[in-house]
Amino acid sequence: MMAILALAQKDLRLLLRDKGDVFFTFVFPMILAIFFGFVFGGGGGTSKIDLALVVESDARIAAGIAADLESDASFQVTRFDTRDAAIDSVRAGKSTAAVILPIAMQDGIDGLFSGTGIPMDAIVDPSHRAEAGLIQGKLNELAFRQLPNLIADGAQMAKLFDGARKNIAVSKEMSLAQRIAATGLIAAGESFTSSITRSGTNAPPVDPNDLSTEKTAKSSAKPAVSASSWSPIAVTIAELPPRLGQPRSSFDVSFPQGLVWGLAGCIGAFASSLVLERSRGTLARLRLAPITGAHLLAGKGLACFLAAMMVQALLIGMAVVAFGSTVAQPAMLAVACVAGAFAFSGIAMLIAGICRTEAEANGAGRGAILILAMIGGGTIPLFFMPPLLRTLSYGSPFRWVVAAIEGPFWRDTAPADQVMPLVVLAGIGLLGFLVGMRGISRPFGR
Amino acid sequence: MLTLRAIRKSFGPTTAVDGISLDIAAGEVFGLLGPNGAGKSTTIAITTGLLVPDSGTVDLLGLGSPSDPAVRMHLGLAPQEITLYGELTARENLMFFARLYRVSAPHARVDRLLELVELDGRAHDRVATFSGGMKRRLNLAAALVHDPKLVLLDEPTAGVDPQSRNRILDLVRALAAEGKTIVYTTHYMEEAAKLCDRVGIVDHGRMLDVGTVSELIARHGGHSTVTVSRGEAHDRVVTADPVSEVARQFGAGGVTGVRVEQPDLEAVFLALTGRSLRE
Repeated sequence: MMAILALAQKDLRLLLRDKGDVFFTFVFPMILAIFFGFVFGGGGGTSKIDLALVVESDARIAAGIAADLESDASFQVTRFDTRDAAIDSVRAGKSTAAVILPIAMQDGIDGLFSGTGIPMDAIVDPSHRAEAGLIQGKLNELAFRQLPNLIADGAQMAKLFDGARKNIAVSKEMSLAQRIAATGLIAAGESFTSSITRSGTNAPPVDPNDLSTEKTAKSSAKPAVSASSWSPIAVTIAELPPRLGQPRSSFDVSFPQGLVWGLAGCIGAFASSLVLERSRGTLARLRLAPITGAHLLAGKGLACFLAAMMVQALLIGMAVVAFGSTVAQPAMLAVACVAGAFAFSGIAMLIAGICRTEAEANGAGRGAILILAMIGGGTIPLFFMPPLLRTLSYGSPFRWVVAAIEGPFWRDTAPADQVMPLVVLAGIGLLGFLVGMRGISRPFGR
Repeated sequence: MLTLRAIRKSFGPTTAVDGISLDIAAGEVFGLLGPNGAGKSTTIAITTGLLVPDSGTVDLLGLGSPSDPAVRMHLGLAPQEITLYGELTARENLMFFARLYRVSAPHARVDRLLELVELDGRAHDRVATFSGGMKRRLNLAAALVHDPKLVLLDEPTAGVDPQSRNRILDLVRALAAEGKTIVYTTHYMEEAAKLCDRVGIVDHGRMLDVGTVSELIARHGGHSTVTVSRGEAHDRVVTADPVSEVARQFGAGGVTGVRVEQPDLEAVFLALTGRSLRE
């Protein structure tokens, strides 16, 4: 075992000190994953945020907010008739978020002083968490801009003050002093509102910019009830719930793709390692040492396996941490990574065992693997492929590793359906090691 | 220590080793002297078990063939090529081989070897940055990592500068002083003459003769040549007894200069093969 570990450690060191191998094993797959993530709709580079807007409310304030959103330079707004259609647009990656101005807005306006504020909903693609804060702030700002219009609406304000007066009358939490004070404030408010409405069209227009969020908060009178929780606007931000069998974002798809290239990089790095041992003469020393061909194969296979695990962990970790992907089944994903690393170590050992020259090993290790990676979903996701290529992909080990990884990663596939890719990968690995063993044993002569 | 009996090895139509037999005693420094392509490296490869002979037997320490890993543990090989990992440091290379051989206390062993080959100051530098002579010394150290009884050095000074060559020769002497048995292949007769207790002359895969340097010279080197100068005149006398001849010349008087040329391994090789070692 010590000899196997020594061989694995040595090969990993050699891998990590070869800039070309490090690039193709770790960096290139990462670049590809991020690149394809953006190509397939990850966003992040556009100047405008795509919003899917649904205006369910008939309230004037809803129409005002919608109009302001559409004219805002930060957003590219597309209107949808239904909430589901808007959410589907987000799910498809066409919109960053769905903004819904719900029917309940009118209830919020009617109970402005006694309720929990005028509600607005935003449903955001989880891969765009960074934009969620901006959307929330913008919705608050636009809603506050509409408040002066609300105050200028005499009928609406009268309805609002009546409602507030009724609430004060039935409140059991308020003391007598509080009731008197609140009633006085309402009277003052009524007087202020009527002075505006009496002015009619001659009244100076209210500049919405004078009522920014900060100014409004400072100048607001104390609410009659629930002072601690009262807010005139209530924007709710929710993340798009994942739907079974669909990626949360394009990065869910692109990172397994990148992973394919990482595994291909491992094969490229390790397939030629035995040939390199021969050409640099170190194979003679290894053959003199008290180890067998099986030791050598196990050592090199272990190094390749560990490198494959490292690249998988790196890419999946990056997808989760930096691009908002979530792992549906962590334990099964770990099993899939082990199976994938085993299969690709086996392929690397197969090539190492059967190739006799660096040209052969490089040809097989980089050339053939390149083609297999392409038809196996390395460049274009399998679901984008035409039927013929999709059928051909069954012959590529990369197809199986993508299936094995995607299942527990974002597809949330039932465990029973994940068995097949795992079995195929285990079979590929075993076959690779057996054939490689035969090839490696030859120069050892035992 | 090492016995080769009637070893033969061919590669296609080419016979690389043609019936070589040898007996090397424990603690002996044995030189295999011959030109490039004589069959020295093939003989070494067969001795290590890396190559299987077409016929003949190899026995190491009376334990049997070195194709058995347990027997092979007792020998160390410094091949003619630099067989090291250039991207690893000197220390990492030696540690790797020490772990392969399951050396106990490998760190101490590696430290000692790095000191021995005078590379302790460069222990943490990558081998790719070393000079040819430094690589040669480390190549030799890698052969010693498991403290073998028999050390096979295949052209250990090939392509190195004179200073590095002297260091390597000192190193071989140090190993001999430790009691190691050494088989040293070279095509430099001076090295063989300086280092080896016995020398085997190899050409075209055959062992032409084996003996101490003086035995070989006595058998094949011919007589000494005494060149006597008297003013502008130079006389050359070939004699088996150069001392008596010089005394006789001085007795005759008028001698202004004397030069004695003794036969060397070059002469032995010339006598045995009809051509020079350097051809």
